[in-house]
Amino acid sequence: MILNAAFICLAVSIAFTVFRVLRGPTWGDRITALDFLGVNLAVLVVLTAIKTSFVAFLDVALIISVLGFLSTVAFTRYLLSGKVMK
Amino acid sequence: MFHRWSVSLLLVQASAVRAAEEVETVSLSPVSEALILAGTFFLLAAALGMLRFPDAYTRLHAATKLVTLGGLGIFGGAALAFVSAQATERVLLVAAFFLLTAPISGYMIAHAAYLRGIRPFQEDTSVDEWGACGAEVPELAGRD
Repeated sequence: MILNAAFICLAVSIAFTVFRVLRGPTWGDRITALDFLGVNLAVLVVLTAIKTSFVAFLDVALIISVLGFLSTVAFTRYLLSGKVMK
Repeated sequence: MFHRWSVSLLLVQASAVRAAEEVETVSLSPVSEALILAGTFFLLAAALGMLRFPDAYTRLHAATKLVTLGGLGIFGGAALAFVSAQATERVLLVAAFFLLTAPISGYMIAHAAYLRGIRPFQEDTSVDEWGACGAEVPELAGRD
């Protein structure tokens, strides 16, 4: 019951965030919304792990959060210095 | 021949045992339910702020702070919901990584937005003491 309510709330949150990714007037809004989208996906996968009681989804959540952080760092480094790696 | 069959049978048995170990027992106590509900509320509030706030910096404010609070609630509730210690420490690993990286990503987005010259909402009421808004060179690609 609680988990279904949480899934519905997270779906609404993801819909708002996707709207901000598509609409956002500057690139700062888009990078913020993409970072927040990665967080939402990680939380959704953790709640799926609770609902299905399958522990392997927790590794999926860890990988999604790592990829979200690294993509944010790559975007900002590219926008500041024109290149991602030194 | 016999050895090969027995070895493959052992491998099948080991994979079946490993797949059975992946399914853990979950008991949702009222405390974990309350934590999950509070975290979901904060994430929904962050999404509402990201939808309705007028500016890149205010949207970043809503996303970073409320996401830290909501992730703390949901990961804490998940760590309490799993019974075995192995699953709990995996959830706590995700939560620790999340709490470490969320402020760093928020700082980096704000730093890049300030130095690349994204103007704040209502410049009449904002004071730029450093005076470096838009200090980086404006062309984006082709630098090395």
